[in-house]
Amino acid sequence: MAATALTIDGLEVSFGSVKAVNNVTMTIAEGELRVLLGANGAGKTTLMDLISGRTHSTRGHIHLYDTEITNWQEHRIARAGIGRKFQIPSVFRELTVRQNFEVASCRNPSVFANLGFGFSRQTLARIEEVLAIVDLRDKADVTAAYLSHGQTQWLELGLLMLQDPKVILLDEPTAGMTAAETKKTAKIINSMRGKHTLLVVEHDMAFVREIAERITVLHLGEVLAEGDIASIETDQAVRRAYLGSRSIS
Amino acid sequence: MIDTMFIGLSLSSILLLVALGLAITYGAMGVINMAHGEMVMLGAYTAVLSRIWLDANIVMAIPIAFVVTAIVGLVIERVIVRRLYGRLLDTLLATWGIAILIQQAIRLELGLSFFGIHVEGLGPGLQNVPVPAALQGTFHLAGVEINTYRAFIIVVTIALAAVTWLLLQRTSIGMQVRAIIRNPKMAAACGVDVARVNALTFAFGSGLAGIAGVMMSGFKTVFPDMGTPMVVDGFLVVVVGGVGSLLGSVLSAGLLGEINSVVAALKNDTIARAVIFGVVILIIVVKPKGLFSFRGR
Amino acid sequence: MASRQRYDFLLYGIFVAAILLAPLMLEEFWLNRIAKYLVFGMLGVAVALSWGYAGILNLGQGLFFGAGAYMLAMSLKLASPTSLQQGSDKPVPDFMLWNAEPGALTQLCCINKGSFIWLPFQSQWFGVAMGIVLPVAIATITGMIVFRNRISGVFVSIITLALVLLVRLLVIDAQPLTNGFNRLTDLAWLTIGAFQFDPYSRATYYLVAIALSLVLVGARLLVSTRAGLILQATRDDETRARYLGLDVPSYQIFFFVVSAAICGFAGMLYVMVSEFASPTFMDLSFSITMVVWAAVGGRSSILGACVGAILINMIEAKVSETKALVEVWKAVVGLIFVLVVLYLPRGLGGFAHDLLDRWRARNAEAVPDEGLVAERRDTVAERG
Repeated sequence: MAATALTIDGLEVSFGSVKAVNNVTMTIAEGELRVLLGANGAGKTTLMDLISGRTHSTRGHIHLYDTEITNWQEHRIARAGIGRKFQIPSVFRELTVRQNFEVASCRNPSVFANLGFGFSRQTLARIEEVLAIVDLRDKADVTAAYLSHGQTQWLELGLLMLQDPKVILLDEPTAGMTAAETKKTAKIINSMRGKHTLLVVEHDMAFVREIAERITVLHLGEVLAEGDIASIETDQAVRRAYLGSRSIS
Repeated sequence: MIDTMFIGLSLSSILLLVALGLAITYGAMGVINMAHGEMVMLGAYTAVLSRIWLDANIVMAIPIAFVVTAIVGLVIERVIVRRLYGRLLDTLLATWGIAILIQQAIRLELGLSFFGIHVEGLGPGLQNVPVPAALQGTFHLAGVEINTYRAFIIVVTIALAAVTWLLLQRTSIGMQVRAIIRNPKMAAACGVDVARVNALTFAFGSGLAGIAGVMMSGFKTVFPDMGTPMVVDGFLVVVVGGVGSLLGSVLSAGLLGEINSVVAALKNDTIARAVIFGVVILIIVVKPKGLFSFRGR
Repeated sequence: MASRQRYDFLLYGIFVAAILLAPLMLEEFWLNRIAKYLVFGMLGVAVALSWGYAGILNLGQGLFFGAGAYMLAMSLKLASPTSLQQGSDKPVPDFMLWNAEPGALTQLCCINKGSFIWLPFQSQWFGVAMGIVLPVAIATITGMIVFRNRISGVFVSIITLALVLLVRLLVIDAQPLTNGFNRLTDLAWLTIGAFQFDPYSRATYYLVAIALSLVLVGARLLVSTRAGLILQATRDDETRARYLGLDVPSYQIFFFVVSAAICGFAGMLYVMVSEFASPTFMDLSFSITMVVWAAVGGRSSILGACVGAILINMIEAKVSETKALVEVWKAVVGLIFVLVVLYLPRGLGGFAHDLLDRWRARNAEAVPDEGLVAERRDTVAERG
């Protein structure tokens, strides 16, 4: 059995009197692709905020492999090996696509280590590779602000590939995409599979079917069910809570 | 001590009048108006000119100054500021340019000095405005001797603050302004004519600053550069009070005015201002959103 | 990109050659003036670094300029003959003597409360060292407090603004130590070995011109390092940079400090050229004026900001020869500023870059996209 990449144990956070995430416990194996499902307000994004250090938890623990990273600062968590893609794509808008990738390739976080020029041949080759994977080769010297919505999303995925973290959190990677773009995104995500452990928040069921192995369903901040896609689709509790009486479309 | 506190309160009043306009324009429109200090200066010059040309005293100059500075504010908003919405730091720079233009307009007597025409009351020199007899001297209230002119400043400010509050809370245009402060896009989507409301707000804020200028002319020398420290102080009040919170501006104007007058009484005016800057830096570091804010911009 | 950089360095080369060759064509009287403007050009570089590249609008650059100026001026004051008035060989600044309490010991250690801090400034090199060390120290402490607390945007501007005004008032208030409003004047010339830098000499001009060339090229190289690229990334999106594992504050602090050091250096050169140090260096209007120069020249172009500063000052000097136009010129500066913000948000430098891109695009038909990109870049700048 593969090692456990991410362990979440009894995690809780409250905003005022609302418990946005309540006693969530889950483990994700190395190399797994886990999909988080849940209605609006179920706590999916909050859970990602907690893992990546944007929000501090009030109880519980998060381990990345054997390292406890609970409530660390964002850049330390990132350096420990967790990457994150935001719901609203977030890239360096005034830099070119290639420059974006160069920034993501900087392994050493310190200012003084980066006072040199240029990048190793290895890094440059890797950047070309990623440019090809996310299909932005002919846009490499275009300023990121002029990319289309879909291209911006792929650029952000490319940033994550170059950052090369052990665990990647993806918050609705297909939000606002056309069907064709969604398909391409699924292809990119599938190419990341195996090299990284992935935790994906997604609403689009067609897309979920395309990529999902295991699914965890959150409801009102708690874990409601966990299993493969078939068992989730037939789970009575999930149907009642999340889908109402209708079946999954 | 009570005397010092009272001086502090009159200082706070001037600060508040300057800050109210800034608080609204910054909070609602995301504009840092560096030319706001020049509205104070124009208000003061209106008092100077009203005395010379209309034989009007400070009290009569108040409504005149309000109208004059409100019109100038309206023109600035229509011609320049409206093109810069959403570019916060650019508004700071452009309005700084406007501030210089207004100062030079006064110094050069609206350009007339080139043609050898001199307007009494304008130009680079210093001007003074006498306080009408009725507002001079002191009176006694509950055993404390109170400077009549300072009491006048406080009363006028309370009245104007009350009017502002009523306008914001009880009129439909006030409701629109509050909507814009909370969320300009949503307000526009709900049918608020944001451009028009912004222009009126800008004009109103400028008018208040103009009134502050009239009242300052009663106890300070009037000169073309007098506005710069005022806009700085006004901003400090807004930031300390919390952006978008008018009540916060009221409280922080009170706080900073009192600190200023107490330190000035203990040490001197220079150190008092230095202490104010120190306090403001501390507050921003500890509470960047301001002491009384409900929202950061 | 690579060829773009080649053009860039060509322009830098032309500029450096121009300022180094200028003395061949100018009278000595002008050399002193131009040297002053070159110092202002250096301030333009500092502003472009922190505003254009780091996205930090520092409205208190005058603090660092003033700190550098005062540190060197204190040393040069003690070296001046006016400080030996009391007849002994131990220097005491003349203004301290004039204001001394009757019967006070007329020595630097104890002529008034606090005068002892002048003691180490008897060494010229102590003053020179402090001219960099003090701005760097102030900037490091300020930067740590501000950026570690994730204060950003206009709040940084307000803190730096309040800080420079605070220090200005303290300098004015400490009249017995600093001569307050009356400035530090009657300074000696900087001496290296037996050589004295007469402010009106060619030597001083070359010192300033070489210093500016080094700072300019150094800053340009600095922003093309990996760290410079990361800095621009933090300017675009702090959060994204943080989630890539970059320690954003350390980059902001580093470049904030570099910018402050350049300002301090410029302050020292200014004292050499103009022979005084004054609290007006820390006026709000001076700090904002620096930003004006950079904005007109192009905030995101180091050379542009530098040239902007020099040009505006040269025009001002020309215009001011006619007395009646002095005040008009100020109004014109205000107007230029409004117009630049409205119509050329990236300044002359950005405008030139766009022209260059368009010209290159026309020459190299192979890349038809380029002209389009250049046009669109304007809209990017407008967002910022």
